[in-house]
Amino acid sequence: MAELVETRSVGRLAARAKWAGTLSLDIDRRGGKSIAVRQFHDGALRILRPHYLDESGQVCYVIVNPGGAYLGGDKYLIEVAVADNADLLLTTQSATKVYRTPQDRAGQHMQVHLGRGARLELLPDPLIAYREASYEQVCCVDMDPTASLVMAEVVTPGWSPDGGLFRYDEIRMRNEISIGGRLTVLDNLLIRPGTGSPVDSSNFMSHYTHLGSLLAVDPRVDQALVDELHALLGPMNDGGQLGLTLLDGPGLALRALAHSTERLNEMLAAAVDLLRKRWHGQEPLNLRKY
Amino acid sequence: MAAAPGYLLPLLQLGDSALPTGAFSHSLGMETHLNQGIIHDEDSFANWLTQFIRIQLVHSDGLAIRFAHEAETPAELHRVDRELHAAALPREIREAGVKMGARMLDIAGSVFPCAELEEYATAVASGECSGHPALAFAIAGKNLGVPLGELLATYLFSTVTSLTQNAIRGIPLGQNAGQRVLAAAHREVRDAVALVQELGREDFGITAPGLEIAQMQHERQRARMFMS
Repeated sequence: MAELVETRSVGRLAARAKWAGTLSLDIDRRGGKSIAVRQFHDGALRILRPHYLDESGQVCYVIVNPGGAYLGGDKYLIEVAVADNADLLLTTQSATKVYRTPQDRAGQHMQVHLGRGARLELLPDPLIAYREASYEQVCCVDMDPTASLVMAEVVTPGWSPDGGLFRYDEIRMRNEISIGGRLTVLDNLLIRPGTGSPVDSSNFMSHYTHLGSLLAVDPRVDQALVDELHALLGPMNDGGQLGLTLLDGPGLALRALAHSTERLNEMLAAAVDLLRKRWHGQEPLNLRKY
Repeated sequence: MAAAPGYLLPLLQLGDSALPTGAFSHSLGMETHLNQGIIHDEDSFANWLTQFIRIQLVHSDGLAIRFAHEAETPAELHRVDRELHAAALPREIREAGVKMGARMLDIAGSVFPCAELEEYATAVASGECSGHPALAFAIAGKNLGVPLGELLATYLFSTVTSLTQNAIRGIPLGQNAGQRVLAAAHREVRDAVALVQELGREDFGITAPGLEIAQMQHERQRARMFMS
């Protein structure tokens, strides 16, 4: 089955590495409902049967990593294509855990294609990095100008047996978003845990331990929406840091620093729910994990 | 008799922090940390400046200059412009690049004209490129025959000088304190020049959460001395 993936044209990534797991999913719209017209997995990645959370026709798929964690040198490949007017919510069954990666960093590469009027909500569980973990996540999105993308993620340090927070080495999260073939957003973030000194590390994590990030690229984004989200989320992050800005595209970027996953999950969920309601008339997201 | 290389005086002119690109009105996120009290004196500013050099100047401006210097075709240069602009997520940082890029392009094109600068200016005017001071500077310098190391060191130190002048006004700091910060930054800039030449394409545009958030928060700061 692995050959199937390699013969498919997925660019430079698939040609090279040996993947610890691959997953490929093509979504199309049939009679008002979005369905998978092709799916494939190999190695340590699985996907659960689809479900529909509401009457919108949006299909929800849950990615599973049966191994439970990413180890040193592990590279995962996920390819997703959402055809014209199809609608996918992609999430994970549980947090992605990255353990110690002494030789080579672990990594996940994702290729996304969104057709005309297509929509993707990419809402994985938090990424948890343990002691001496080093991880690189790359997501390349090629979308039509009429497509809609919302992606959000939380990065947190794991707890050590003595109850303290582990210090991971570094996490790189790179999102390349091209709209109509033109690179528009290059979100290339280097995350290193704070050193404890507010001065030395104020440009990295300062004294905060948890990072939340959200990107939305959709023709309906404007400065008024950015301001509205800031007014909604600002009060939720008391004692933390929040940044929101308008992107070309148009789109918006949100970054938040806090001391807990719960705080960031609440903020990201509030933002996602506002966009779901505003643009699609959907109720707040309630992900039952299967 | 020892003569100065032909590029030296043009390089000093373009690298002068008083070059009218508008750099005096951009703090590039510093003003947020100033407002929050994180930057309040010589030491705290020097620390911020060190982080800024290591994150933004190395991975965005510095790598952009190297890639522009290495570019062999207009298409390669346009790709660097595209990535540099797309990597600036905070709106004010994108706008600062566009504004100062237009000024640098105008100045360099009028005092050291060359076909490559003209081509880049045309691409910016048509919307194919966004424009950035680092790229206009790199093209002019390459055409003048400036070696990469000197080109990088001059641009980085010029930016560091502008930010220090802004800190002198903003914190405020004494002029001598500003000069001490600049002298201490020599080593960081030298290290940055070396690092820029070792990094790869995947490192282009890397930023860090605290810096990015400060640059985003600046949009909402009420009393401001700076545009970014």
